[in-house]
Amino acid sequence: MASIAVTQQLRLHGADLYTSSIKPLLAEKCIACHGPLKAEAGLRLDAAKLIRKGSENGAIVAVKDIDQSPILQRVGHSSPDQRMPPMDEGVPLNQEQLERLRKWLTDGMPAPEDEPIVQGPQQHWAYRPIVRPPVPVVDGQADSQSVIDRLIAAKQLARNIVPLERAEPATLLRRLTFDLTGYPPTPNEIAAFASDQTDESLARVADELMSRPEYGERWGRHWMDVWRYSDWDGYKLELRGSQRHIWHWRDWIIESLNANKPYDQMVREMIAGDEIAPTDRDVLRATGFLARSYHRSNRNIWLDATVEHTAKAFLGLTINCAKCHDHKFDPIGQEEYYQFRAIFEPHNVRTEQFAGEPDVMKAGLPRAFDAAPDAATYIYVRGNEKQPLKDKPITANVPKYLPIAFEVRSVPLPRESYRPDLTELVKQNALTEARKRVEKAQAELTSSSKTVESTQAESAAATRKLELARAALDSLEARYAADEMLSTESNTLAIEAAAKRAAELERSYNLLESEVVFQLAEQALGKATKSAEKDVIKRTAAINKANRDLDAARIAFDKAIDAFEADPTAYTHVGTEYPHESTGRRLALAKWITNKNNPLTARVAVNQIWMRHFDQPLVANVFDFGMRTPEPELCDLLDWLAAEFIESGWNMKHLHRLIVSSQTYQRASAQSSSRFSTNAANDPDNTTYWRANVRRLDAEQIRDSMLATSGALDRTRGGPDLAEEDGETSMRRSVYFRHAYEKQMTMMVLFDAASPNECYRRSPSIIPQQALVMSNSALARSLSRRLATALSNEISQSSPNLEKEFIERLFMLTLGRRPSDSEEDSCLAFLDTQARLLIDQSTLHAVTLGAKTTEEAAEAPVMRARQSLAHVLFNHNDFVNIR
Amino acid sequence: MTDKRELSRAFSRRMLLRDMGMGFGGLALTGLLHQENTLAGQNIAMETSVRKLAPKAKSVIWLFMIGGASHLESFDPKPMLNKYAGKTIEETPFKDVLTSPYRANERVVAFDPNNGFVRNEIYPLQVGYRQWGHGGLEISNWWPHVAACADDLCLVRSMWTEDSNHGAQLQFHTGRHRIDGFFPTIGSWVNYGLGSINENLPQFVVMGTPVADCCGGQEAHRANYLGPQYDGIPLKVDPHDPLPYAKPPKGVFEEEQAGEFQLLRELNRITAESFPNDATVEARMKSYELAFRMQMAVPEVVKFDDESTQTLDDYGLNQDSTREFGRQMLTARRLVERGVRFVQVYHGSNGGAGNWDAHANLKTGHERLCKQIDQPIGSLLKDLKARGMLDETLVVWASEFGRTPGSQLSNGRDHHPYGFTVWMAGGGIRGGISHGKTDELGFHAVEERHYVTDIHATILHQLGIDPRSLSLPGRKRLERDYGEPIRAVIA
Repeated sequence: MASIAVTQQLRLHGADLYTSSIKPLLAEKCIACHGPLKAEAGLRLDAAKLIRKGSENGAIVAVKDIDQSPILQRVGHSSPDQRMPPMDEGVPLNQEQLERLRKWLTDGMPAPEDEPIVQGPQQHWAYRPIVRPPVPVVDGQADSQSVIDRLIAAKQLARNIVPLERAEPATLLRRLTFDLTGYPPTPNEIAAFASDQTDESLARVADELMSRPEYGERWGRHWMDVWRYSDWDGYKLELRGSQRHIWHWRDWIIESLNANKPYDQMVREMIAGDEIAPTDRDVLRATGFLARSYHRSNRNIWLDATVEHTAKAFLGLTINCAKCHDHKFDPIGQEEYYQFRAIFEPHNVRTEQFAGEPDVMKAGLPRAFDAAPDAATYIYVRGNEKQPLKDKPITANVPKYLPIAFEVRSVPLPRESYRPDLTELVKQNALTEARKRVEKAQAELTSSSKTVESTQAESAAATRKLELARAALDSLEARYAADEMLSTESNTLAIEAAAKRAAELERSYNLLESEVVFQLAEQALGKATKSAEKDVIKRTAAINKANRDLDAARIAFDKAIDAFEADPTAYTHVGTEYPHESTGRRLALAKWITNKNNPLTARVAVNQIWMRHFDQPLVANVFDFGMRTPEPELCDLLDWLAAEFIESGWNMKHLHRLIVSSQTYQRASAQSSSRFSTNAANDPDNTTYWRANVRRLDAEQIRDSMLATSGALDRTRGGPDLAEEDGETSMRRSVYFRHAYEKQMTMMVLFDAASPNECYRRSPSIIPQQALVMSNSALARSLSRRLATALSNEISQSSPNLEKEFIERLFMLTLGRRPSDSEEDSCLAFLDTQARLLIDQSTLHAVTLGAKTTEEAAEAPVMRARQSLAHVLFNHNDFVNIR
Repeated sequence: MTDKRELSRAFSRRMLLRDMGMGFGGLALTGLLHQENTLAGQNIAMETSVRKLAPKAKSVIWLFMIGGASHLESFDPKPMLNKYAGKTIEETPFKDVLTSPYRANERVVAFDPNNGFVRNEIYPLQVGYRQWGHGGLEISNWWPHVAACADDLCLVRSMWTEDSNHGAQLQFHTGRHRIDGFFPTIGSWVNYGLGSINENLPQFVVMGTPVADCCGGQEAHRANYLGPQYDGIPLKVDPHDPLPYAKPPKGVFEEEQAGEFQLLRELNRITAESFPNDATVEARMKSYELAFRMQMAVPEVVKFDDESTQTLDDYGLNQDSTREFGRQMLTARRLVERGVRFVQVYHGSNGGAGNWDAHANLKTGHERLCKQIDQPIGSLLKDLKARGMLDETLVVWASEFGRTPGSQLSNGRDHHPYGFTVWMAGGGIRGGISHGKTDELGFHAVEERHYVTDIHATILHQLGIDPRSLSLPGRKRLERDYGEPIRAVIA
């Protein structure tokens, strides 16, 4: 059946038909094999000129008899063996698509004259070396203009665009403060900024804002999106994804940003922190980036995610597309996918203890390390893990078309790293735990001997328990002593003596323990035999089980005795011994990624930062800078910023300062002038940044600014993730709440917070559920009440017009501007009507079964009306908007 | 390679639609403060990513049994199971099922040492069957009310899926294996592709306790990359608390809030006038209007004051066993009546794999579960028909997989992805027929085999959407197993 879309497309003619409908069709169906990467049979179909040229076998279009054209015959062939695209490579063209192609061929293959021909990967804009472009001098522009503005002005000039003026100071400060800290400015800050409009004032304010710890929290959340921050998820207590205590990584991100740690260093620490600083816990936190991808059920899913997102986040490459077959658009072979995977193959995750807490379920530091240096990587046929090519192990490497050195050198590790149990911290945790057990057993014995009723058997058992606890402690101490001797002492006699003692004490402990178990089993059997259970089946089952347990205990007991016959120096070493070396593959990768000659890394990072300042990226597809993505309109700006970023030492605050100081950043978003409409016609999508984009606040900013404006905010920083269901009662900043699969605050989800799984760019929506949460949540209601009360208390009772002053201050706090006259009139009328409405509450209908607020409504109608007004302003369009 | 301008134009158009809030619904929203009973699809024109066909149905009611309902004890009788009861499959003439190439379709992700095996010892049918309707459809005795509508039922007895564990629940809704991650679900695609008929209600409504975390959780009714505006919205059949944040906190006066809405409208209008080029103000104002209307309309849907006592009785609202599901079925009809596109109802949640997961005690378990839902479903079908709504309402009954012909733990069956039954009724689907077959043991689907996306494609087709046309820039609905409408069952 003919569809609307098709008829629309057939209405197109000439070059338009080619550009909008033929070229995309060929891109989808053909150019993976007949394009710049492969050109099979010498044929390329990615540009009209090349189509006309044909293949090594000659022309593919028969101009005189279109239906005899080889191209049409091949794509329309009735035999699947002959038809293009080949069966495994794609879906055949349907009737409409064939017709479309035929029409274009019949028309004489019209196409734009200036259609660029991609020369190959080396010419692709994102794969070219980063070179600072020449900066044009635009006539009539002040010399003081920043490079950003000059590069943009050139584009605007070419399109006959005159950008809007600078935004009003209040608007600008609101934009800047939200941008750099995630909060709105206070009324005092707005007043101070408005009265100091010198050239340097904005940069100074920006520096001050970036010196606040809130900067790290705000930009930390941005990077947490990109780096896929997720708290642990699981079913009940079972860990299924990410890691417990991964919040240490979140705190590392925030602290690193606040300290302005260079971006390249951050990347290196996240990928290879354990190889850079194997014993530095501050740095180890960074490897949460890797620990986050942990996936319990399947190692392949885990490693696939690591490969995919390392490449997308830092390189803007979709290496993941090469898992099952060679990449269709970029020069990445399937083998290279597995080479990249081999970099990560040895790594795993473990949790380091903290002093005073031996239980890593309760506290600990999740971190990456190379657990299996020899783990092999194989190509999976068509990505199917059931079909590994075992005769061809894959060596770690990076995609070869990017000519940067990738040098793997193994990293020797200190003992503290490969024997964490021998560190003083872990040793003390273990010994303290063993001593506590002795003390507990001692206390139990004391109390049991004090009790008159306690039987002889009971106190004998308590004595046994104490002996056992002591033996455990003695054995542990001796094993520690022997292990320490082994790694520090050279005197073999001393080592042997310590080992003997450790072996002896361990065996004594094992013997004692197996004896106790044996006795318990005997007692259990006696109990089962004498049991009053009437159900014969259950009774028999219990007796059988007790007998089995007793047999097992007997065997263990015999073994413990036999152990005394073995080598007298053989004892169990303390804890786990990990490999003494790390492969160094991840460090090599980290250095490769952050090599200043890597054409992708800085471009991708700069694009992310730019996007978050302007709500519009320079490169639309933020995680794919591959050949599918066309050169961005402002490529020279991207390159200039990338070069500047690298030369500044990957200094993020420098980049922020450059951006926000530009005139481009400071433009108004709207202006009632003919200039606006002319520009809107010439550049409707604002690709030349002739105005600021109006944007909605992120989910976190919406909640956080309600907390901040109402004075309820608890500024405590860092620490364990807070339960998402406490989001309406805890006044902590949103970034600290749990953020994991199925564990996100509803309010965050409704306002398009990042999916914990992947979010390189958020997509703000406007949906009715957002209106419901803002108008009906207990949080918004409680905070608006609190805000109105606090504000009323600030206003002097002698003020000539109390209500007016209330309204003005409320607007300033919530919207960052004064009310217009008509707004003020509406609000005054509302306060009056609402207060009168509330005088006789017996006629009103109260909600009875709703949620409970933390803040009660005011008694006095006038006050309650003000609270109502504050609630309206939380729901105002511009409360959640930046202009 | 896609032309740059084309790409950015497509992008900005999508952004605009998204900013407007509702994508296609947003377009439909422009004139629509009142209920608009446009035929599905007439109000969508400009997106090239949805191709429209002539619609046969307007709405879908999707009933999903959590845990894996036994096809063998419901809609696919296999007398051979009685004949060879107690024998191993190797001892029957049908031992080839064990070496069938179809078994390679299974994708094991997380090995479960207890479940998800082929069970070798044939387990006899736990319930009798009889024939129903003019077509003589064989349906088990646990489904008398559903069976009474046999002439409207189309049994698809040749379903298969990939996952032998309960991730198949997610897979049934997204068409992708749990291992592949989360994707938009069939309901969200319908919501995305069609937009609204009624702007007072969400277009994709979910009832019942969802699939548990283990098996996909809320993702079984989410829209993933389509955006939260296309998510299924969970509705409770409770007039006091039907939606999250559907009503203000305790103690707020309705009149007080009405005053606030009035002022908000005024203030936002002033803003809209000051910024005539900012379309988002308008969109946000509309979202508030819709929210306000939803706040009014949704409780009304789940209040049954205007239903006759006979109706309440028919749906089983006066019996303990059927009350809960009966309320959901009645609500489903009321939602569809008001133009809601997709109503997804989960049955059998137990916080884990699901109550239908009959590894043991299949007979008592299934009999009890069938009692809870048979009458309400039967009444729903009859009611829809009596009101002339069945023709344009497609009812689908499904479960993530069937159960093994062999026994597990002596009185139950294990998971079985190789062959099972789904039924459809109404919405332009032929009634009184069965389509496709499993083999003599009910092991493999052997004739007219269908993967789950064929059901999705059939639904989309009946609603008037070309299932192959759904895509966003850079995303296709599915990259393989697109599914084909099951033409043989389309009337």
